[in-house]
Amino acid sequence: MARPKTYRCEAVVLGYSALSEADLLVTLFTRHQGKVRAIGKGARRSNSKLVGHLEPLTVLNMSMVHGRSMDIISQAEVINSYATLKEDLIGIAKGLYLAEMMDGFGAEANANPDLFQLMIDTLRVIEADPESEMALRYFEYHLLEVSGLMPELYHCVECREELEPGAHRFSPNVGGTLCLGCSPEDAHLRPLSLRALKVLRLLDRSQLPEACKLSIDDNLSLELKSLLSTAVTYWLGNEIRSNSFLEHLRNETLPEVYS
Amino acid sequence: MTQENISGASPSLSRLVQELNRLPGIGPKSAQRLAYYIIRLPDDDAYALADAITSVKQNIVFCEECQNLTDASPCQVCSDPRRDRTIICVVEDPLDVLAMERTRSYRGLYHVLHGVISPINGIGPDQLKLQELFNRLTRDDIAEMVVATNPTLEGEATAMYIRRHQGREDIKITHLARGLPVGGSLEYTDETTLSRAFQGRQEI
Repeated sequence: MARPKTYRCEAVVLGYSALSEADLLVTLFTRHQGKVRAIGKGARRSNSKLVGHLEPLTVLNMSMVHGRSMDIISQAEVINSYATLKEDLIGIAKGLYLAEMMDGFGAEANANPDLFQLMIDTLRVIEADPESEMALRYFEYHLLEVSGLMPELYHCVECREELEPGAHRFSPNVGGTLCLGCSPEDAHLRPLSLRALKVLRLLDRSQLPEACKLSIDDNLSLELKSLLSTAVTYWLGNEIRSNSFLEHLRNETLPEVYS
Repeated sequence: MTQENISGASPSLSRLVQELNRLPGIGPKSAQRLAYYIIRLPDDDAYALADAITSVKQNIVFCEECQNLTDASPCQVCSDPRRDRTIICVVEDPLDVLAMERTRSYRGLYHVLHGVISPINGIGPDQLKLQELFNRLTRDDIAEMVVATNPTLEGEATAMYIRRHQGREDIKITHLARGLPVGGSLEYTDETTLSRAFQGRQEI
């Protein structure tokens, strides 16, 4: 049976680029079709019915038409534009960081509804609290999980012995945590403190709102950020470019007049 | 397939096609059509085109004031004594200056950023002409800054960044009105645009 010419989908906009004089090439992550690249015909014109709908970090109900090489967006209706998040520079930077990771991990024509739900849940938390770093750590950890790359946190990946309380080591290359007795040749091997392991396990078994209530000190926060972003970058195969702007904002010194 | 692989094409023609193919929006077929059009041009027209390209690359510089592209620095706008020097309009690209000038309703100065902050594309504040803007705000007697970046997520992020870093208490910072385009339709307008149009409603 021939496939229908049109279909409807729920999607979050990850980004777009200009295509020809007035069109946009839009990268979407849909709930049931995975990543989709689609053309927004005439979407760059100020009186287009699509203008304003296709901004990154917007969740939409969409009507699409199957095209020869790429699908075409025929209609879009906003479900959530995360308008409050987009009024905060840190919120935008964090949202784009999530979008870039999702673009990297999401595969075309490969449905991953859990990843879609993770994205919209995390955007909602960041919208409520743009300063939340734990929301990013939760996203990074569960991004690996829903992509089938969940790191092992309870047993040594080499000797399979249950991990004793204490300092361990971690490597995305071997798939998670190693006890101190095992020392494979691995350039990605790095120390993992007991406190960081406990927080990773908490991220593993808790829901997002519960995980975001956890308050940790700066050193532990830095260790987790470095560890998870190393794991994400390792599996992605390249740097997350939006991370440098996020770091810039974290470390910036503002003029005294800014309130 | 590159032009080098096309048998029968002369090396100089292949080179021209390759160079035209590098232009934005020009695919291999369009590049071939343009190349054959240039071959058929009268000699004077073809040399005038080549001369225009050479000249623009040799003569165009950044205006030391507004960072717009110009033949001589400072540019025509910055050196015009009739312009209002207390107001500065910050735009993304040189083309935005032309669009603003077409309105004939703005008589102040400009500052061209040459892009917007685009974290996903690896473009941060350091790649834009932001420090030059902050230097102007510190040095010159500017009373109002109109941040006229595009109303996109990246344009808004750039506007927020400018507001955070501009460093002056006594300056009025505005942006262009958000709302419905002329010829647009309420039915198809997204919620954000419509709510901003409501916020900016005017008495008639």
